[in-house]
Formats: sequence, structure tokens, C-alpha cells
Amino acid sequence: MTSAMTRMVARLLLLPTLITAVAILVKGYTQPGDGFSAGVVASLGVLLQLMVFGREEAEKIPGVRQAGTLAFVGLLAALGLAVWPLLLGDAVLTHYPPPGAKVLHFGTLEFITAVLFDCAIFVLVFGFVVGTVGAISRAIEDADEQEAP
Amino acid sequence: MPLVVALLSAPAAAAFGMLRPAGAAPVGAAFCALAFGATLWGFASGGGAVDVAWAPSWDLRLHLELDGLAALYALLATGVGFAVLVYSSRYLPLHLEHQDRPLSDGTSFYFFVLLFMGSMVGLAMAQDLILVFVFWDLTAIASYYLIGFDSHDPDSRASALMALLVTGVTAVLLLIGAVMLYAAHGTFSIPELAGRVEPGPLLTTAGLLIAVAGLAKSAQVPFHFWLPRAMAAPTPVSAYLHSAAMVAAGVLLLGRLYPLLQKSDVLLDVLLVVGSLSMAVGGVLALTRDVLKQLLAYSTVSQYGYVVVMYGLGGEYGAVGASFYVLVHALCKSALFLSAGTVTEATGSDRLSGLGGLYRSMPLLAVGSGVAAAGLAALPLTAGFFKDELFFAAALERGPVFAGLAVFGAALTFAYTWRFWGGIFLGTSDAEADRTSGVLVLPVVALGGLTLLGGIFVGPYLGLALAAGSDSLRAPADVVAAYHLDARPENLMALATYGLGVAIVLSRPLWSGAAGALSRLGERAGPERLYGMGLRGLNGLSDRAHRAEARDLRSRVAAILLPGGILAGAGILVTPTGGTYRVGTVEAGDIPLLLALVPVAVAALTTTFTKRHVTLALVLSSAGFVLALVYAFFGAPDVALVAVLVETVLTLLFLGTLRLIPYEVLHRQAGLPTEKRPRKVFFAAVAGASTFAVVWATLSRPAPERSVAEEHLKRTPEAHAGDAVTAILADFRGLDTLGEISVVALVLLAVLTLLRGGRLR
Repeated sequence: MTSAMTRMVARLLLLPTLITAVAILVKGYTQPGDGFSAGVVASLGVLLQLMVFGREEAEKIPGVRQAGTLAFVGLLAALGLAVWPLLLGDAVLTHYPPPGAKVLHFGTLEFITAVLFDCAIFVLVFGFVVGTVGAISRAIEDADEQEAP
Repeated sequence: MPLVVALLSAPAAAAFGMLRPAGAAPVGAAFCALAFGATLWGFASGGGAVDVAWAPSWDLRLHLELDGLAALYALLATGVGFAVLVYSSRYLPLHLEHQDRPLSDGTSFYFFVLLFMGSMVGLAMAQDLILVFVFWDLTAIASYYLIGFDSHDPDSRASALMALLVTGVTAVLLLIGAVMLYAAHGTFSIPELAGRVEPGPLLTTAGLLIAVAGLAKSAQVPFHFWLPRAMAAPTPVSAYLHSAAMVAAGVLLLGRLYPLLQKSDVLLDVLLVVGSLSMAVGGVLALTRDVLKQLLAYSTVSQYGYVVVMYGLGGEYGAVGASFYVLVHALCKSALFLSAGTVTEATGSDRLSGLGGLYRSMPLLAVGSGVAAAGLAALPLTAGFFKDELFFAAALERGPVFAGLAVFGAALTFAYTWRFWGGIFLGTSDAEADRTSGVLVLPVVALGGLTLLGGIFVGPYLGLALAAGSDSLRAPADVVAAYHLDARPENLMALATYGLGVAIVLSRPLWSGAAGALSRLGERAGPERLYGMGLRGLNGLSDRAHRAEARDLRSRVAAILLPGGILAGAGILVTPTGGTYRVGTVEAGDIPLLLALVPVAVAALTTTFTKRHVTLALVLSSAGFVLALVYAFFGAPDVALVAVLVETVLTLLFLGTLRLIPYEVLHRQAGLPTEKRPRKVFFAAVAGASTFAVVWATLSRPAPERSVAEEHLKRTPEAHAGDAVTAILADFRGLDTLGEISVVALVLLAVLTLLRGGRLR
């Protein structure tokens, strides 16, 4: 069992970590950081919960239980984003709006499809890290159960 | 577009099947009918074409066209598919019931049948060699799951693997041939290639490679052995794949590439020889088989032999006749397969020796399948008569030898078709037939009716074949098929066929010994044995390589480090070294960097002395963290951020994995056996020395390929980005990223599967 201090810090850290992750993702196109880093930061936040409170508790955070599936959702989204310019008669992985066109801003967030592609990578990386560690921790639990029935 | 409907049908049926298992069949059949209608309407309204360059820099185009050839095969795939789906809606529940499997297993059956149909329609319409290859492999994948549908049965799995390997390995030859043509003529587009190729060794080689792929798919000698084995599939699958779809894909490829193939006489001769051999071998073996579906399988080998011979004969009659033959054969053969399934379902026997006299208890089926059999045997008043008329006409054009061959082949067909139908429905036997559902009979009757209709109104059938033949010839074809009540050679040949066929049937005791001997010879020394030996040999080789490389973690690491080190070292030795290795100067500004590198060096040295795994993991990750700091010194915040994050995750994974291994095992493995130590030290030294040399050489000279990086930096604002790294990842080199994230997803799949003992649930 973890100490009260650890648990409190862990609980307090979850939200800031996720916010940091979203910040890295959103400003990724103008400042350092991208979908990959954001995905890892977010999953680290979740993994802290997993280590402190155990898997049962951590899986109450939305998206953690389905992390493995989430990774494939991210992959499909990225594939879809890559392919759909074909419907408009452009080459694969064309991003909109094209170079030189005006872009809508919201703070540092730019509304361009490349950011969506980055978001798909975010989802995939998050799903990968949480899914892998979750699977390992489930395997550890299963092994422990078999040892002490 | 019919293709869209056809491709959508598979997911639609699967979705309905997941909601309600009984819903998959009607939805699938409805989509099938819709695709059939769309193809018919599309073709009647003059066809249509789509041509999108989806990767212009590689000259890859999404070029689909609904021409005559495409319409013929798409109509077959959807039309026979419809009949088969209606049939399976009743057959499949019975099949699953026999095997105590839940009804929901059937959903995957409908999914793969419709996936097959969709890719077949795509294959028929594809006008680009790469596109042909993609759809070609899709059909192979769908057929793998369909043939291995009874996945609990090892025999069924082995048959599915055999079909996949034979058609899949030869598909690679198709790709090689396509790339050869591309290298020489600069396009994958078949219509453009047809205008550019010149006869010569290149065309012969590439055409031969492509033809081999087609012949293997059509189960021609010597690749025919997969087809009888594939009869392990449920009957509707055999009826669909092995009459109208999968084997037809092979001759579709030949027909599609015929404009190229016909320019080389060698290729046409190869087709003639292979086709005649298949005709003879398939026909004779069909006469020896007792199991209904085996008989039909060998007859399919022989029938597609006809088609290949017709392409080999060439000319108007050859090309149109081949298309007409495929059409009639698909109708007749699927009807016969389906009636075999119904008979087996009703009596419980799948052998000719246990059947007979069933015309009394199943009159409707006897008539329906009788008409189909008559069509296959080319009796007048059925569409089959014209298929042989065209065949004879094509053979006559080339000379009397071919005419004799044609009569012999047709007589074999007559004999084994009679054996099949007569053996089931005529004679006397104690076989008891249960009452069967009308759904198991009606598709047979409908397909038989279509055969009969073609014998009276041959116009629409011939029109389709003419359109397909003109596409193969790239010239308008004009061939007439009609009844003539005179003594023209074709009619005489047909009469000779009937006579010879009857003679073969009546003289059975005379030749059955010889035919049986041929069949046994084929089993002893045939290509199937060669396949088995090849498969076992490859398996053994892979096992040995696996044992040598992956015996334990240390030998696996050594298997990478040693060859890597030696290769890199050899590369360094043969490269001129003038000025490559320089020791730079240390300036005041570099001191913090050097200080940061000291802990990395210390950590690296420590790893070689550490015994405990946990310490090892922690020391390694501390080296990683300090390296991240070094990146920060170089002003690369993106890389530093990623390095820190990756290092954190790696450490967590290391610790988690170590926790999975029992402590005693870990402890035992911690010490290196003394006798192995010198060898391991040597491996490590070689790898380390060559890595050192490579890194030194790289750092000694400023990167010469500045241009790419500068180009990226210049274009970053154009991509609306402030951060060049992100812009490179998501935009400039997006395709690389896509590949990398696919690998990440694959790794996740592998980890999950491994941790759950090979299962995903």
C-alpha cells in the first residue's frame, strides 16, 4: 500500500499532467512538442495513477480500459486522414488549407488538418503506452493470483 | 458504381450478422443482387471509368473501367454469388448444426464470401497492374478463410494454407512481371502497356511470370493439386470459389493481359501445352474419383484447361470462345456443386458408390442438375452446345491435330459429367433421401434454367462474350454461334464427341486400371509431393534459424551485434579515410557539455559490472536521461523532450517486465557462465569498436546533406508551422510517420497476444 502523501500527490498530479499533454498537442505546430510527446505525457499521468492506486482504480479513468482499442482507432484515423484527399482529387497526405492560404487561429492552435493527423498520433501513442503497461500489470496480477490461490 | 456496392456488402453483412446471426444472409444476398443490378445497368449504359492518380510520384493510379471483360466477370461474381448466398442461407445453419457450432460463426462466412465478391469485381475492373495485384491478393486472403472455414479440422487448415501458398507465392511472380514491364515501359497501366510493348525476351519473361500466376490461380497443371484439396471447404464455398470466382480470376488475368500475351508466340505455345495437359490430367482423374466434390474439382481443372487452350489457340474464336466458355462453365459447374451439396445433405453420403436412383425422391433436383450437366457435356438446346462449337471452331483454325485434341477433351467431359449425374440419379441403390428444403434446390434449378435459356436465346450470352473477347483482342470481334442443321465440321466434331464419350462410359472396365495407376503415380511423384517437401524443408530451416538466433536473450543480442559490427568494420576498412578522423578543439563553452557527458560514460562503464537486473535498468536509464540533457545543450528542445519521455517509459517497462520474471530465474541468469565470458567479451568489443569508429567518422565532418534540412526549414512557414520538427513529422514526411505508427500498432498487437498466451481475449 502506498503512503497517504504519495496518493495525494498522485491524485493532484493527474489533471495538470493531462492539461500539459493537451497543451503540448495544441501548440505542437508552433512550438516544440507534437502528438507523440503529448501522448507519452498523458500516458505517464495515467500510469502514475496505475502505480499508486492499482489497475482497478486507474481503469475508472475514461479510455484507460479500452487503451488497446484506442491505439487502433488512432491508426485508423491517421489512415483516414491520409487517404481522404484522394476524394478531392489530391495526392495522399495532402494537408488543408494549402500553403499560402489563410488559417484560422485560436490562441496558438491552428485549424489545419496536419494538427488532426497529430491528434491521431496522440491517440495511438497514448493507447500504445497505456495498453502495453496495462497488459503487463494484468499479467503480473494473474501470476500473483496463481501463486497464492 | 457496382464496385462500391460490392465492396460495401461485406461490412454490411458482417454488421447485421453481429446484431442478429440470421440477418447476415438476407442482407448479403440483397447487396449481391444490388451489385449485380448495378453492374448490368452500368454496362448497359455504356460502361464507365474512374482514373485517379493516387500517388502520382510513383505513377500509381486507381484506374477502374467497366468494359466487356469486367462486366462478364463482375456479373458472374455477383450473379453466381447471389445464387450461392441464397443456397447457403439454408445450407450453412445445417452445416454448423452438424458440427455443434453456434449460428454466429456463420457471420464470418458471409463476410468473407462478400469480401471475395467485392475484390473479384474490383479485379475484373482494374486496369492497372498494381491494382490488379492488390485485388488479386485480397481474393487469396478471403479464399484462405473460406477454405479453412472448418478451422477446428487440421485437414481443412492445411488445405487453406496450401491454396494460399500456391496462389500467393505465384502472385509475387505477377508483381515481379509487372515491375519488369514498368521498368521497361514506364507505366503500370494495361491499356498503355498494350500499345507500347514489343515482342522480345523481356515481354516473354514478364508475360511468363504473369501467366504463371494466372495458371496457378486457375489450378492448371502443375499447380492443380490445391484445388481438389480445397474441397475441404463447405459446399457453397466450393460452388462459388471453384466455379465462378477464384479459378476464374486466373483466366481473367490471362484475358486482361491478352493484348500483351498474344504478341509472343512462345507464351501462346506455353498456354496451349499447359491447357492441354490440364485438360487431359483433370479429365482422366475426374473419371477415377468416387467422392462427388473431388470429381467436380478435377473436372474444373480440366474445364479451365479448355479455356487456357482457347487463349493459346488465339484468334477471334479463341478469345470470344474462352469468355463464353467461362460464362457457361460457371453457371453449370456451380449448379453441379450445389446439387452435390444438396444430395449429400439429404442422404448423408458424399460418394458415388453410395448413391443412385435418386431421381425418384428428388425429381426437381434431378432435372435442374441434369440440365446443368447437359450444358457441361455440350448437348444441344443448352448454352453448353455453343461453348463447344466455338471451341471446335478455334481448334479447326489451327489444324487437324488440335481438332482431334479438342474432340478428345470434350469426350472426356461428356464421360465424367455422365458419370456424375448418372451415378447420383439413375440406377438403383438403397440410398435414402430425406426431404430437403426448397432453398437447397431452387438455386440449382435457376442456374440450370439459365443454361437452358442460353441454349435457346444465345444472343445476350454471346453479346457479353463478344464484348469481353473484343477487350482481350483490342479489336472488335465478330463471331456467330447458332444451330446449323448441316454437316459442317463443328457439328461432325460434336457428334464424334458424343460417340467417343459414350464409348468411354461403356468401356469403363478397360481403362479404369490405367486411370487408377495414373492417379496413384500423381500422388507418389506429383507436384503435391514436391510442395509438401518444400514446405517441410522451409519449416525446418526456419526452426533451425530460430533455435540458433533466439535460444536465449544473449545469443539473440549477439546475433545482431556481431554481424552488424563485422559489416560496419568491413565498410570502414574499405572506405578511404583521409581526413575522416579528426580530434576537434575543446573550447570554454563546451565544458558544461563535457561535464554532462561524464555521468554518461560512468553509467556506461557501470553497466558492464552490474550483476542485478534492476540496477542495470536504472543505470541504463540514467545514461539516457543525461543524453537528453545533451540534446538540450545542442538547442534541440523537441528531441530532448522526446528523449526524456521515452527514457521514462522505457524505465517503467523495464521494471514492469523484470517483475514478470520469477526472482530465482532472474537471479540465476544474472551471472554469466565463466566459460562463455571470453566469447561474449569479444562480441561486445567488435560491436563497440565499429560503432565507435562510425560515430567518430560521422562527427568529424559536418553533415553534407544540409540541403534537405534547409529545404524543410524554408518550407515550414508555408505549412503554417512554427516548429519544423512537427511539420516534418506530420506533413513533409507524413508517409514515413504513417508507416512508423503502423509498426507501433503492430507491436502493441504482438505484446497483447504474447502476454495473453496467443489469444486476444
